[in-house]
Amino acid sequence: MRLSTSMLYELGMRGVQRPQAEQLELQQKISANRRILKPSDDPIASATIISLNQAVSVNTQYAANAQNAQATLALEADALGDVTRVLQDMKALVVKAGNPVLQNQDRASIGTEVRVLYAELIGIANRTDGTDQYLFSGYQGSTRPFAETAPGVVAFSGDEGQRLAQIGPQRRVAVGDSGAEVFQRAREGNGTFVTSPAATNTGTGVSGEGTIRNVQAWDNPGNSRAYTVRFYVDSALPPVTTYDVVDTATGTSMLTGTAAAAGPYARTFNSGNTIDMQRQATDPVATAFDAGIQLSITGAPATGDTFVVRRAANKDVFSTAHDLITSLSTALPTGPAARALYDSALSATSSSLGRAMDHVLTTRASAGVRLRELDTARDTASDLGLRYAEDLSRLQDLDYASALSELAQKQFSLEAAQKSYVAVTQLKLFDFI
Amino acid sequence: MGNGLFGIGISGLNAAQAGLVTTGHNIANASTPGFHRQQVVQSNATPQYTGAGFIGSGVQLDTVRRAYSEFLDGQSSRAQAQASYYTTYSAQIGQIDNILSDPAAGLAPQLEAFFAGVNEVAAHPASVPSRQALLSAGSTLAARFQALDNRFVEMNRGVNAQLDSTVSAVNAYAREIGALNGRIIGARADPNQAPNDLLDTRDELIGRLNELVGATTVAQSDGSVTVAVGNGQSLVVGSRAFQLATVSSAEVPDQRDVAYLAGATTVTLTPSTLTGGSLGALLAFRAGALTDARNELGRIAAGLAQSFNAQHRLGQDINGNPGGDFFTLSQGSVSPHTSNTGSAALSATITSASALTASDYRLMYTGGAYQLTRMSDGTTTSYATLPQTVDGVAIALTGGTPAAGDSYLIEPTRNSARNFNLALTNPGAIAAAAPMRTASAAGNSGTATISAGVVNGPIDANVQQPVSIVFTSATTFDVTGTGTGNPVGVAYTSGANVTYNGWTVSLSGTPVAGDTFTIGPNTNGVADNRNIGLLGDLQVANILSGGTASYQASYAQLTSSVGNTARDMKISSEAQETIALRSREVQQSLSGVNLDEEAANLLRYQQAYQASAKVLQVASTLFDTILSIRA
Repeated sequence: MRLSTSMLYELGMRGVQRPQAEQLELQQKISANRRILKPSDDPIASATIISLNQAVSVNTQYAANAQNAQATLALEADALGDVTRVLQDMKALVVKAGNPVLQNQDRASIGTEVRVLYAELIGIANRTDGTDQYLFSGYQGSTRPFAETAPGVVAFSGDEGQRLAQIGPQRRVAVGDSGAEVFQRAREGNGTFVTSPAATNTGTGVSGEGTIRNVQAWDNPGNSRAYTVRFYVDSALPPVTTYDVVDTATGTSMLTGTAAAAGPYARTFNSGNTIDMQRQATDPVATAFDAGIQLSITGAPATGDTFVVRRAANKDVFSTAHDLITSLSTALPTGPAARALYDSALSATSSSLGRAMDHVLTTRASAGVRLRELDTARDTASDLGLRYAEDLSRLQDLDYASALSELAQKQFSLEAAQKSYVAVTQLKLFDFI
Repeated sequence: MGNGLFGIGISGLNAAQAGLVTTGHNIANASTPGFHRQQVVQSNATPQYTGAGFIGSGVQLDTVRRAYSEFLDGQSSRAQAQASYYTTYSAQIGQIDNILSDPAAGLAPQLEAFFAGVNEVAAHPASVPSRQALLSAGSTLAARFQALDNRFVEMNRGVNAQLDSTVSAVNAYAREIGALNGRIIGARADPNQAPNDLLDTRDELIGRLNELVGATTVAQSDGSVTVAVGNGQSLVVGSRAFQLATVSSAEVPDQRDVAYLAGATTVTLTPSTLTGGSLGALLAFRAGALTDARNELGRIAAGLAQSFNAQHRLGQDINGNPGGDFFTLSQGSVSPHTSNTGSAALSATITSASALTASDYRLMYTGGAYQLTRMSDGTTTSYATLPQTVDGVAIALTGGTPAAGDSYLIEPTRNSARNFNLALTNPGAIAAAAPMRTASAAGNSGTATISAGVVNGPIDANVQQPVSIVFTSATTFDVTGTGTGNPVGVAYTSGANVTYNGWTVSLSGTPVAGDTFTIGPNTNGVADNRNIGLLGDLQVANILSGGTASYQASYAQLTSSVGNTARDMKISSEAQETIALRSREVQQSLSGVNLDEEAANLLRYQQAYQASAKVLQVASTLFDTILSIRA
C-alpha cells in the first residue's frame, strides 16, 4: 500500500500523543488516589459512591447523636442515683424517727436533717445538662422545672415531653424523662391502696402497708375500692374486739349486706392478724365479696375507731418529704392514741418513700437500658462505618500496584512510539540524492 | 529525419519538464490540507506513416490528473463529520461530567453537610450556635445549587455563542464554495481538462463545512456542486450561496435557534433536522443532556424546598411562632410563544415534590380546550378548563384570555435551582419544636399513657387549642376543646391513634374513669426536637420520583446518567476518530503525497529530461554531420 508522507507524520504523532494522554490521566489518578476522577470513568460506581457517602454521613451522624444522648442520659442516670440515695437517707431517718424513746427535740432535729435532704432533692430535680438545659423540664429546656411555691408545695413548670435522639434508621431513643413522671407520679401506700386511721381514733390501732392478694379482684369494676373498717370493743373480760367492713360510698356493710350499724360486728379482731377483704364462711352476708387485698392493723383499736381504705393516688415525693418534716417538727401530744396516729403516719411515709424509690429505680433502669442501647448503636455505627469505608475504598481508591505498573508500561510504549517516530521519519530518499 | 528526431526530443523534453513541474508541485503541496497528488498523463504521439510502416513521433501530454476517488473522499469526509459531532458533544458534556461529582463542586457533600446541621440542631435544639450553623450549611447548599445552575446557564450561553460563530463560519464556507463553483464553471471550457487545484480547494471547503454541519452534496454536469443542509435546504447552488442565521427562539427564552434564510422569510431548523457536524452536536447537547441535567437539578432543588418547607411549616420556632418556609421555592417558568395573540398570563406552581418530573411542558390553547404535552415522552392530555394540577405542578390562568393557537412553554423546575435560597435569616426561626404537646393529669390513677403526638400537614389552625381527653370509663372517653366538636363517649382501644385539630396522639394502657390527658400549646418548648427530627428524616426519605428516591439518590441518578452519556460520547468519539483516521489513511494512500515517491519521480523525470536532451544533441550532431558533408 502507498503511504502518504503527511499520514506517516500524523500516525507517528498520534502514536506518541495517545500514550501521553493516557499517561497524564493515570498520573492524575495516582496523585489524587482516586480510581474515578469524573462520573464517566465509571458511572455506576460514581452513583454508588454518592449514595455510600450519604450512608457514611448519616451513620456518622447516628454515632454522634448516640454519643450526645449518652452524655445527657448519663447525667440523668447520675441524678436519679442521687435521688435514690436521698430517698434512702430519708427512709433511714423515718425508721429513726419511729423510735419511741425520742423526745420532741430529737424528732425536731431529725426533721432538720430531712429538711436538708428535701432541699437537696429539689436541687437534683433542677439539675442541668452541659448546655444549661434542665434535665427534667421536658420540652421547656430553659424553664426551671421545680420551684417551691408555698411550704411543701413544689410546682412543676416543665412538661412531659421527652427529647429524642435519632440513633438509627427508624430508631429514636428518649434522652430524658419527664420530671413530673419521676418526682410526682409515684404511688403512695403499697402502690395499690392506702390504709389510714381516722384522726379522731382513740385506740392504739396502727395501720400498716397491707398486701394485695388478688390484683384482678381489686381491679374488678364491681369493687368500690373505698372501704371503712370500724371497730367495736365489747365490755367482756378480756374485751373482745370486733370489726365491720363498710363500703365508704354506700354505707353498706360488706359483711352483712345491710346498712352499717353499731357493734358488735361479725368478725373478731386480733392485733396483727390480717383483715382479709373478702367474704369468709362465717360472714352473714350471702353475696360474694372480694376486694383482693389484706389489711394489716396492729394494736388495740377502740370502739368507734375507723380506718379508711382507698385506692393509692400519685404522691409528689416533695410533699411526702415535707409532710415528714411537718410531722417531725410538730410536738407530739401525749397519750397512746396520738402515738398510734404518729406511727401510722410514719408507716405511710415509709411506704410512700419506698414506692418513690421503686419509681425512681424503674426510671433509672429504663435509662440504663437506653444507655446500653446507645452503646450498641455506637458499636453498630462503628462496624457499619468500617464496612462503608471498605466499600468506598474498593469503589474509589486506586490500586497503586497495578496503577504504577500500568504507568511503567505506558512509559515504555511512549518511549517506543517516540523512538520509532524518529526512526521512521528520518528515512528519506532525499537524503541520498 | 533529423527534423523528426528534433520533434521527438522536444516532445520528450516538454513531457519531462511537465513531469518535473508536477512533481515539484506535489512536493510543495505535500502538507497542504485537501491536496490530491497530481500526475502527468502522457501518451505516445500519433505516428507518421511511411512506406516502411508507422514511425513514432514522440510523446504528447494529455492532461494533469489528480489522484482522486469520489468514494474514498466522501467516506473520509463523512467519517470526519461524524467524528466532529461526537467530539463536540463529548467536549460539551465533559464539562457537566467534571463538575457533578467533584467533591469541591458537586452537590452531594453540601447536602450531607446540611443534614448534618439539621441533626446537630436536633441534638441541641435550644443552642443558637447549632441553629446558626444549620443556617450557614443551608446557605452553602443554596450557593452550591446556584453555582451548579449558573454553570448550566453559562454552558447554555456558550452553546448560543458557538452556534453564532459556527453559523457564520458555515456562511463563509458557503460563500467561498459558491465563488469556487463559479471559477470552476469558468475554468471548465474544455471538459477534458479539470482545474485540479480549484477542485481540491472546493473539496477541502466542503469537508470543513461538513465538520460544522452535516451537508449533502450533489455534483452538477457543469462542474459545480450543490450543497444542502437540514431537510434539503440548499446552501450553495452554482455560484450562488444562501445563508443560515441564528435567531432568538420563539418558544424558549435565552435560546438561539438556527434558521435558514429563504429570501425574506426565516425557517427555524429543528435539532431533528440538523443532525450532523458540530452544529448538530451543539443542538442535540442543548436539547438533551444540558436541559435534562438542568431540569433534574432544578427538580432536586424544588423537591427539597417543597418537602422541607412542608415539614418545617408544621413546626414551631424557638419563640413559639409557627414555622414558615425554610427555603424559597420559585414558581415554574412560563414563557408565552412570541407568536401568541391572546392576553392570557399563566402561572405554574409546584405543589408536590413527589409527583414532580424533570420534564418541560407545552400548553396549547385550541379554542375550546387546553392541550398539555409533556415533552419528555410526548404524552398529550386535553383539559377543558384551568387550573389543573399535573405532575405536581398547578397550572393556573392568572389573567387575560388566550386566543386559539396560543402556546406556552412551561418549565416547572428551570428556575428552581437558580432561585433556591434560604427563606429565613434568624436562627431562632428554625422550627425545631412541634406546636403542641401532651400531658397527663397528675391525679391519673390508671396506667394509660399518652404519646408525644405528631402534627399532620397541612397545619390546622386549631392545632394549639387546648384539648382534654377525659375517660368516662375504662373503654370510653370524652373530648373537649375548640375544633374537636366535643365528642362524647368515644370508644377507646389501647394503642389506637386519636386525631383532632391536625395532630395525632396515641393512648395506650389501662385508664380509669376520671383519668385526664391534655393537649395544648408547646409554650417555651425550646428543647423540643420533634419537628427537627422529622426534618432530619427527610435526608433518607424516598420523596422524589413518586416516592422512590431520596434527594441524594436523585442526584446520584443525575450523576450516573450524565456520566453514562459522557462515557458513551467519549467512546463514540474515540471510535469515530479512529474510523475517520482509517478512512483518511485509505484516502491518503491514494491521494496523498509520498515524498520518497516524488524523489524517485524527480530522478526519473530528470533522467528523462537529460535523455531527451541527449536526443536533441544527437539530432544536432546528425545535422552537423550532414552539414560537414557539404564542406
